[in-house]
Amino acid sequence: MAQRVEPKAVGAATPAGPQGDVAVISDTVLGAQIRDARRRRARRARRRFLAIRLISLVVVFGAWQIYGMHTIAILFAPISTVLHQGYLLFAHDQLGSQLGYSMWTFACGYAIGVAIGIVLGMLMGAYRWAEAAASMYVFALYATPMVALVPIISLWIGFDATAQIVIIALFVTWPMTVTVFHGVRQIDAELMEVSRSLRLNRRQMWVHVLLPGAVPFVITGATQGVAMGLVGVIIAELQTQLSGLGDALQTQSQTYHTAAALAVILLIMVLGVGLRAILGLVHHRAVPWLRIDRGDGAQR
Amino acid sequence: MASVETASAPRDGHRVASAAESGQRGGDIVCSGLYKWFGDSPVIASLDLYVARNQFVCVVGPSGCGKTTLLRMMAGLASIDSGTIAISGQRVTEPLASVAVVFQHYGLFPWKTVFHNVALPLRAAGVTKGEAARRANDALKLVGLNDIGNQYPAQLSGGMKQRVGLARALAIQPEVVLLDEPFAAVDAQTREILQEELLALWSRYQQTAVFVTHSIDEAITLADRVIVMGAKPGRILDDIEVPIGRPRSVASVRRHESYAPLREQIWEQLRGSSTAGGERG
Ligand SMILES: Nc1ncnc2c1ncn2[C@@H]1O[C@H](COP(=O)(O)OP(=O)(O)OP(=O)(O)O)[C@@H](O)[C@H]1O
Ligand SMILES: [Mg+2]
Repeated sequence: MAQRVEPKAVGAATPAGPQGDVAVISDTVLGAQIRDARRRRARRARRRFLAIRLISLVVVFGAWQIYGMHTIAILFAPISTVLHQGYLLFAHDQLGSQLGYSMWTFACGYAIGVAIGIVLGMLMGAYRWAEAAASMYVFALYATPMVALVPIISLWIGFDATAQIVIIALFVTWPMTVTVFHGVRQIDAELMEVSRSLRLNRRQMWVHVLLPGAVPFVITGATQGVAMGLVGVIIAELQTQLSGLGDALQTQSQTYHTAAALAVILLIMVLGVGLRAILGLVHHRAVPWLRIDRGDGAQR
Repeated sequence: MASVETASAPRDGHRVASAAESGQRGGDIVCSGLYKWFGDSPVIASLDLYVARNQFVCVVGPSGCGKTTLLRMMAGLASIDSGTIAISGQRVTEPLASVAVVFQHYGLFPWKTVFHNVALPLRAAGVTKGEAARRANDALKLVGLNDIGNQYPAQLSGGMKQRVGLARALAIQPEVVLLDEPFAAVDAQTREILQEELLALWSRYQQTAVFVTHSIDEAITLADRVIVMGAKPGRILDDIEVPIGRPRSVASVRRHESYAPLREQIWEQLRGSSTAGGERG
């Protein structure tokens, strides 16, 4: 025992270490070195990731460009033309305001869908009575393509923004509810037993166990919801009153402005990627206990 | 919620030690005529057990004989099909405020830091924030973890996690501590260290404990009394006093003259129960 302690003590006392001796490095110096090495490795891994991504973008857009330059303009267009058309739509057409309109209906519908999904999913997950009462409808609606409901919704509510928001909310609500429901159910049975043993009351159970335990699933659901919500936006705008990005898409493609139509599609894709990235950041911040250094230098 | 505060728990955290030293702390456990069925076979049948206050009892028995079930019934986590359990005279029908449980797989909330894991049951019992903080820190100090309060469980080794589990149990100043194979998930060396710490802790703050284990050595090392359970249905085969004084250490117990015969005796009981199966009794 004493032997094992000794080198540590010596190292701590003489951080520099006598030159001729076996290299004795103090724990703090060694610790700093290991930390630095790990950070360097993490940085290298990150750079590699970005480099591959960049190369992939160059290859795909390069191929798009070359292919586009050798086809008929009505069918396809090179990326340079698409970007230029996109710029023109923003500058001289109303793509800016159309984007604003779509984002606004999306935000409203998405917020409603996520809110209902969280409440309904958590209730169904936490209480048997709620599951008994509601789960059949939730799963039925989850399995139904929401497009099928659009004509009925229009019939009931009309063709205006309200109807569109309802449609978008419907697209988001069911996958969100189902994900949160399964998430709450997956909270460790042992932890539920622990909470009983600690005599948490109902409110404390929600605050300390159910809600934090469900956070990762809420974020997963919300991330899926972005994709579903964007589908909802376009479908709503095409199927009710033509408006927003759906309007731009429809107008440009029906008049054979293929490059402009592609620009709108590209914009929708960028929206999807951007919103997911934002949720990724939220996830990172919201679950600190899941981004713990596992000693492999990976960033979580 | 404030009314849930343990009736006998002293308000002042600093009095933990004095209360324990004067023997005021532990409660007794009376199990009488316990039955528990799973499906149509009784898992525990006609079990009577008395644990005196401040006694440390270890329960050993073959796998599946109902040790966990018995402990969960004492903890108010499993229903009692027939018979009664009373702790400090209070009938167990739900988890009691005077009872703390240490779980085999730690049972720590991954989204809470070590400190908040330990403070949670105090806050749940209506202890004020400052008071809970002090008691949580005291408990962490007691198990030798004063400086990792703001780490998450995922950052700790198995041994440290179980120390946190122990700190959480002790922080509420329970009258009875129930431990279900608390050291089963850690390696042999850590296990021995934890046993040593538990012995040291108990020699200072003696209190009632029921400790389930698979290890005969562990049982003899820790217990004042070893209960040997048999299977199908779960019942008590033997009830053995451990004539080794305290304070103890793992090494001093191993050297004790009654260690080997005790070990042999318990082994015989267990072997008998696992080969003879249900034919006994
Ligand atoms: N929820 C349950 N449903 C059905 N049977 C169960 C349930 N829980 C336990 N049992 C049965 O009860 C018996 C006792 O289980 P218990 O977990 O109490 O055993 P144990 O002594 O703790 O075993 P081990 O030493 O392996 O932990 C086992 O045969 C088990 O199959
Ligand atoms: Mg068990």
